[in-house]
Amino acid sequence: MVIRRLAALLAVLAVVLAACGTGTGSQSGSESASQPATSGGSGGTGECTIAVSWNNFQQPRWAAADKPNIQKVVEDAGGTYIDADADLSSEQQLTDISNLIGQGADVLILLAQDQNAVLPGLQEAKDNGIPVIAYDRLIEDPDILYITFNNVGVGKAQAEAVLNEVPSGNYVLIKGDPGDPNASTFLPQGWDEAGLKDKVDSGDITILNGPEGGSGTWPDDYGTYTDAWDTQTAQNNMEAIIDKANADGVTIDAILAENDSTALGVVAALEAKSYGFPPLSGQDGDGANLNNVALGKQFVDVWKNANELGKAAGQAAIQLCQGTAVTDIAIDIESSVAPLDGNSPTDFDTPGGNTVKSLILQPTPLTAADLGTVMDAGWYVTKDEICADVKEGDPGFDACQ
Amino acid sequence: MANVADTAPVPGETRTTTSAARLREALSATEIDVRLFGMLVALAVILIGFQLLDSGFFSPANMVTLAVQAIPVAILATGMVLVIVSRNIDLSVGSLTGIIAMTYAMLMTDWLPNVLGMGVDFPFRWLIALLIGIVVGAAFGALQGFIIAYIGVPSFVVTLGGLLSIRGAIWYFSNGAAVTRLDPTFQLLGGGGRGSIGELLTWAIGALGCAFVVFALWNGRRQRRRFGFPVRPVWAEVAIGALGCAAMLGLAAFANGNYLPPGLATQYAQEHGIVEPPGGLKVPAGFPLPVILLIAVTVVMTWIATRRRFGRYVYAYGGNPDAAELAGINTRRTILLTFVVMGILAALSAAVVAARLNGATLDIGNSYELYVIAAAVVGGTSFAGGIGTIPGAVLGAFVMQALSYGLSFIGVNSPGQNVVAGIVLILAVAFDTWNRRRAAR
Amino acid sequence: MTAARQAEPASQPLVEMRDIRVSFGGVHAVAGVNIDLHEGEIVGLVGGNGAGKSTLMKVLSGALVPDSGEVFVCGERAHLANPREAKAYGIETIYQTLALADNLDAPANVFLGRELTIGVGSLDDSAMENATRGVMGRLNPNFQNFKTPVVSLSGGQRQSVAIARAVQFNAKILIMDEPTAALGPAETAQVRNLIRQLKEEGLGIFLISHDIHDVYDLSDRISVMYHGRIVDTVRKDDVDTDAVLGMIILGKRPGDVTQEELAALR
Repeated sequence: MVIRRLAALLAVLAVVLAACGTGTGSQSGSESASQPATSGGSGGTGECTIAVSWNNFQQPRWAAADKPNIQKVVEDAGGTYIDADADLSSEQQLTDISNLIGQGADVLILLAQDQNAVLPGLQEAKDNGIPVIAYDRLIEDPDILYITFNNVGVGKAQAEAVLNEVPSGNYVLIKGDPGDPNASTFLPQGWDEAGLKDKVDSGDITILNGPEGGSGTWPDDYGTYTDAWDTQTAQNNMEAIIDKANADGVTIDAILAENDSTALGVVAALEAKSYGFPPLSGQDGDGANLNNVALGKQFVDVWKNANELGKAAGQAAIQLCQGTAVTDIAIDIESSVAPLDGNSPTDFDTPGGNTVKSLILQPTPLTAADLGTVMDAGWYVTKDEICADVKEGDPGFDACQ
Repeated sequence: MANVADTAPVPGETRTTTSAARLREALSATEIDVRLFGMLVALAVILIGFQLLDSGFFSPANMVTLAVQAIPVAILATGMVLVIVSRNIDLSVGSLTGIIAMTYAMLMTDWLPNVLGMGVDFPFRWLIALLIGIVVGAAFGALQGFIIAYIGVPSFVVTLGGLLSIRGAIWYFSNGAAVTRLDPTFQLLGGGGRGSIGELLTWAIGALGCAFVVFALWNGRRQRRRFGFPVRPVWAEVAIGALGCAAMLGLAAFANGNYLPPGLATQYAQEHGIVEPPGGLKVPAGFPLPVILLIAVTVVMTWIATRRRFGRYVYAYGGNPDAAELAGINTRRTILLTFVVMGILAALSAAVVAARLNGATLDIGNSYELYVIAAAVVGGTSFAGGIGTIPGAVLGAFVMQALSYGLSFIGVNSPGQNVVAGIVLILAVAFDTWNRRRAAR
Repeated sequence: MTAARQAEPASQPLVEMRDIRVSFGGVHAVAGVNIDLHEGEIVGLVGGNGAGKSTLMKVLSGALVPDSGEVFVCGERAHLANPREAKAYGIETIYQTLALADNLDAPANVFLGRELTIGVGSLDDSAMENATRGVMGRLNPNFQNFKTPVVSLSGGQRQSVAIARAVQFNAKILIMDEPTAALGPAETAQVRNLIRQLKEEGLGIFLISHDIHDVYDLSDRISVMYHGRIVDTVRKDDVDTDAVLGMIILGKRPGDVTQEELAALR
């Protein structure tokens, strides 16, 4: 109750402050009227306020890659960038959305903490006639523009790389938070597209942390979830799985971990048990994980070039603000990650039965040999970090030269 | 109990002949802490239960994993006992552990080598980092303790603020990224094959433990004899001594049943010029270092709680704050110190976590406060204040982790684990409440 | 007992409180009180609720610093800024709330705040138990529960522990605030015996009580307080309980009370 009241108060405050802000802005504008206009010049873009509601900055990529790219695109186009971080709280995010609308947002880019809990906030934006871009995470609503990486594609790229290396044997599946549809649905779907399920059915591959006797539902009953994608939880779970495998006298041949924080926990467990490093997947392109790829502790890191995702969202937001129809939006990004269906939004059928307009970018699988790609792309992780402690004979040695 | 209790000499009058009563009498003659004993039984039941579900469960290697996983929470729980006993709470332990873990990582990867010029080869770099971490923990604890004890802000509020702000500070500190690649010596604190003390030292620790039990019994008896107090019957002393000794040596033997992983064993064989037999060399690894750390923490904390003025004042304050104040105890200083102790323990816990991960992530210590409080409470610490033991809290942490590890082992996913952990927490406290009410009658 | 009383006029008082004043936000809880206490003497302090008895005794025990006034212990000006300083003068207080640390055992309570240590500062529990056994043997020989938390002891036993705490540290002056309030009849009798014994040992005791019989039974002199002032201090032998009751209720000396007031009382 108190929090909600406080939030309302803050929202009001934010409106007042925003009003003051524009007030002084126009004042200084009139004072310097004799000087040539320095900002924009491209019609009405100077009026555009693009707001972003982040669900959290806990993972480094949001603050280091997505945010600066959106901000740069918006500001280069003469718009104003504002944002708020909900710190993993759905409730906080609703407050943030109200505040951002109060600050005069023209377009809202929304990274939802929870796709259902965020719906009231979405409604508030729609009531104010503000277009909403669902950024990286789907919101079930036909009116949004969904800009994301192909999460199914991420899973597919992970499994393709690992299956190519270990076509048959004993697999361990380390999944993320059970409440995240990426963890429970999209990534496993991608694994299946790469042929994991077929190989399990044919008996080529055994899932070690699956139901006894293989009698469970695929993929829900297979693999181990990791609450909040927590590294230590993943480490503890992996240690138990290694112990269990040792007790049963079987070896772990490959591990599919859904993202980098869990993959980091898996590597820690493998090191604690001196198990060696079976091929392991991850995603995100975090510094520690790319270093592990170079050192041969993680086989593949599926990298979502968030720089480009941010650019795409920033471009789409500016175009929406200028009144471009959704289907007429055209984005201009790096071709290797550009959507397979072209640079304008296309229809996407959601699991919830909606059809939304979407821009779905392609992920980039990085093995040790491909590390040069990420070094050249202006990714926030530096070469020094990626190549730390890499010695001759390590898989990433050549890329690090 | 009323007026008569005064005139009735306690022992000897109520001789009953039922076997249950006789058992109770025998138990009380040994003066074993019945509660602690009950916890051990509960732990045993859990382990046996998992063993029945999966015959590969109860092996030395697995129990060592379980123990190491329980240690970060167990270390913190020993301090949480003192905090809760003195009618406070510390919600910031998880964040504090997180920020100190990040401090270690930053120290070893950046600050020490780049700012102070201490490269990888600098001697005792790990110890320098550890000491700095301990100072940081103590300082945070002192700050929070000062606000609680001297300014009078409720501990719930202060440490909730600590939980939020420290967690936020970690992010700024590390720019949001995981920091890995710690000092190789520091990593040994995390255990594993390399971070274990080996067969001989493990036996030595077992023997030391045995000697300690015997000495403690002998010394206690001598002390009581000194003043002519009633002492335990000799048979009870011998039984406890034998049992304690057997437990210590048994534990050492069990730990030595934990062998080095094959890769390390091969390396060991090469280094010692041993030809590896088919099927691999079996090299006993013994206790991992974090277990040694936990034993040390438990012994020291128990000593502080029961044999130091500070500990006594903590319990006195928890039982009756007014009485403690009227007895001339500096209660504010006592409360402040409990938080300093908590901060130091957070530094030790963070060392184990960071060493295990070989780095620090932003989420280290997330929701630790809940597990730590749960461990203390399952271990018999009462929120009413004044009641709780250090070994109980350590056992509480092991009970919680045994469930978590066991469920992981048999393939139950984390939502299921949380359900079980929650139910066990409530059951433990319900049983304790029932038991106390029964005892009070 | 008689020896103490005969010596009284000549000897120096153990405690002398002069013109003590304490006010709380304009209310004069204690308004210029003079009172004294001699060795081996029990002075009963009686009065209605809010008469100022407990406040006055808090000044003596160091729990409260008065606005003005002086306290002399054995003729020496005493500085009583906190309970610790009061204890240094041999002033010990036994509170009506039975202020014991519930979950500690009797020796730990007796030595609370003044623990005996051994070696590197470890608590010497055996020595403390030994000393406690010694004191208890004098005060309450039936007491045997030296290892149980005091919360599970009876009220009388707890009061013995509280008194043992004062005696252990050679209290010269004992303040007993409602020492029998929480006790049953048998235990009350036991505690009364204890108090008499302490008096025999030469302690000076201030006894605060609502129970006029308690006070009348034990005290040598009785001071009656009314609205922060001493109405009168009388020898017990000179008055009967009715007269004391009259002073408590009316705040006047027996001689000043009119017949109507007395009649109204009855």
